[in-house]
Amino acid sequence: MVHERARAVTGDTVADLEARGIAKRFGSVIAIERVDLDVRRGEFVAIMGPSGCGKTTLLRIIAGLERADAGTLLLRGEDIGDVPVHKRSTRLIWQDYSLFPFLNVRKNIEFGLTLKRHDKKAVRSKVEAVAEQVHLDHLLSRRIGQLSGGEKQRVAIARALVTEPEILLLDEPLSSLDAHLRIKVQSELTALQRELGISFVYVTHNQSEAFAMADRVVVMNKGVVEQVGRPAEIYNRPATHFVAEFVGANNIFEGRVSDAADGTVVVDCSHGVVRIAGYGNTIERGAAVELVVQADKLRRHQDGDDGQNTIRAILRGREFTGSQVIYHLETAQGVEVKMVLQEPFTEGEGTEINAEMELCWAPEDTVILGHRDAGLP
Amino acid sequence: MTEGSVIPPSNRSLLKPAFLAPPVGYYLIFFVAPLAFLVVLGFWIVRDYQIVAEFSVGNYVDIFSQFFSRSRFGWALVQSIYIAVTTSVFAVIFCYLLAMGIVFCIPERYQRLFLVLAILPFWSSYILRLFAWQLILAQKGVLNHVLGELGLDDPLIITNTQIGTRIGLIHYLAPILIIILYVTLINVNRNLIEAARELGATRLQAFWRVIVPLSRLGLVFAFGFGVIVSFGDVLSGLLLGGGIGRSWLGSYPLYSSMIMADYNSYTNLPRTAALATIMVIIMVAMLVVAYRMADRAKRQLA
Repeated sequence: MVHERARAVTGDTVADLEARGIAKRFGSVIAIERVDLDVRRGEFVAIMGPSGCGKTTLLRIIAGLERADAGTLLLRGEDIGDVPVHKRSTRLIWQDYSLFPFLNVRKNIEFGLTLKRHDKKAVRSKVEAVAEQVHLDHLLSRRIGQLSGGEKQRVAIARALVTEPEILLLDEPLSSLDAHLRIKVQSELTALQRELGISFVYVTHNQSEAFAMADRVVVMNKGVVEQVGRPAEIYNRPATHFVAEFVGANNIFEGRVSDAADGTVVVDCSHGVVRIAGYGNTIERGAAVELVVQADKLRRHQDGDDGQNTIRAILRGREFTGSQVIYHLETAQGVEVKMVLQEPFTEGEGTEINAEMELCWAPEDTVILGHRDAGLP
Repeated sequence: MTEGSVIPPSNRSLLKPAFLAPPVGYYLIFFVAPLAFLVVLGFWIVRDYQIVAEFSVGNYVDIFSQFFSRSRFGWALVQSIYIAVTTSVFAVIFCYLLAMGIVFCIPERYQRLFLVLAILPFWSSYILRLFAWQLILAQKGVLNHVLGELGLDDPLIITNTQIGTRIGLIHYLAPILIIILYVTLINVNRNLIEAARELGATRLQAFWRVIVPLSRLGLVFAFGFGVIVSFGDVLSGLLLGGGIGRSWLGSYPLYSSMIMADYNSYTNLPRTAALATIMVIIMVAMLVVAYRMADRAKRQLA
């Protein structure tokens, strides 16, 4: 599911982009309340969030298409907050590609190079070099209307790259592609980014895209950053209620800490007691907490599953998605429980709708929201 | 163009002829028949002050034999085309800038109001407007009076020149051209303008390299419309151009006003019809050219 890219992220720590305290409102609507963002050189950062979370506005501010109301924006150490859009060295890949329909592929790609005094021969060779890099060299004389979605996207990328940007901004570039093409383009994009060595800031609402491509993921909601981290970190250790709900299929249980000793936190939930490992003794007794358990960490309780957290729930429905089956259950107290299994239950006793079953999960697989887990660096 | 449109299997509904008959009938009686009569009349002759239905190309021979000499029909034709084309160029530039102002400078909810204000003259009488312009532009008119008060003693001579003709025509064309160009500009994809800016284009470069190419179809429509209407108009040339208004080409009347004069002389109606037929042929030729240009502009955006 989640592939962590085998790649040193922390080695290069030169900052490419630093945004501090960016805020933006449109009339009475707050698009971005306050956002800090760091992008290291050569890093692939995905900004993920639901529509209206401010991710696209943030991208437009970085590109210079909008002006932030507050905050500073540094590109390679230089304050670009007052630099007008046409003088910035950032480049945006648009969601709809925004190719010029009245120009052919070559003219589209060379657009950014022909705006200033230029040497026609140099432009020609640059365009051809970039076109070859993104495998467009055979399509240079085509009209935009004759291209497929994937080809259009490559033209958009070539048009941006030919101007040698210092950072590439991508606004949901895969959203208008077919599902099967999306996977292919994903790997093409990551390969291209590694080859170029420039930073990508990639905006998406799709977690599988963000997790598959990014070195770091920034989760945004309602104009603020909820969590920043490596994909696996975001997935396995959500920091806030929003991230836990937005990412993956998570179960959230509310409860109160009743004991914390010997490295185990004990929480009283409506369905019973939950034990959590890996948080030390830092959490006060009596504190109200939210627990997150990933749906794929749950399984059916069997004999010999000692020391596991258990929960009794009634099966309400099942959803077959192809590679996995999602079971929807409900406890006697009315708390919803989701369980994801790679293999469906075999037909038989106790697996029909409205049957009660006992599920379990390991104490280490429980996340306490809002508390840093001692086990992670 | 639209591949999705499905032609229904043979529609034999009686409603079809019922709905088609009135417009087709109207078109046949009030357009095709008079036009056919005009063309046929041009090949008849006049004998003893009577029109005789006898085929002859005499009218055309008469017209073309003195085309650039005594009657100066040719010069009038050149003058007409020159005035029509230049008028249309000025009108399109003026209306394009105005429409740009409405689309890009005025908040969306006020745009309709400004559009209505811009096309308001459309609902006043054309002749009244021309008389109003006469009052303003005449040698002793409002404009020269104001300029005189400001210390400019040499009055501007606008009426009785083709400049006057053009002012009247531009005012006549403006409401329609503004609507054509407004619709064109409101449909320009703003993302493409932003994309150009983002790629490093200044505002002016974005205008020339994105907005203008994207408006090409509208500009061609507006220009073609302006040329054809200006070419056919007679009133502005008479009331503001003074009939034989002066231009760089010289003091030649417009072709349309020559047809009027020929008609008013009552001497040879078939010859007037022949002159009018020549005008119709030129207009059709203009339409063909405009259509070709529009088609090319359209294909470029596909």
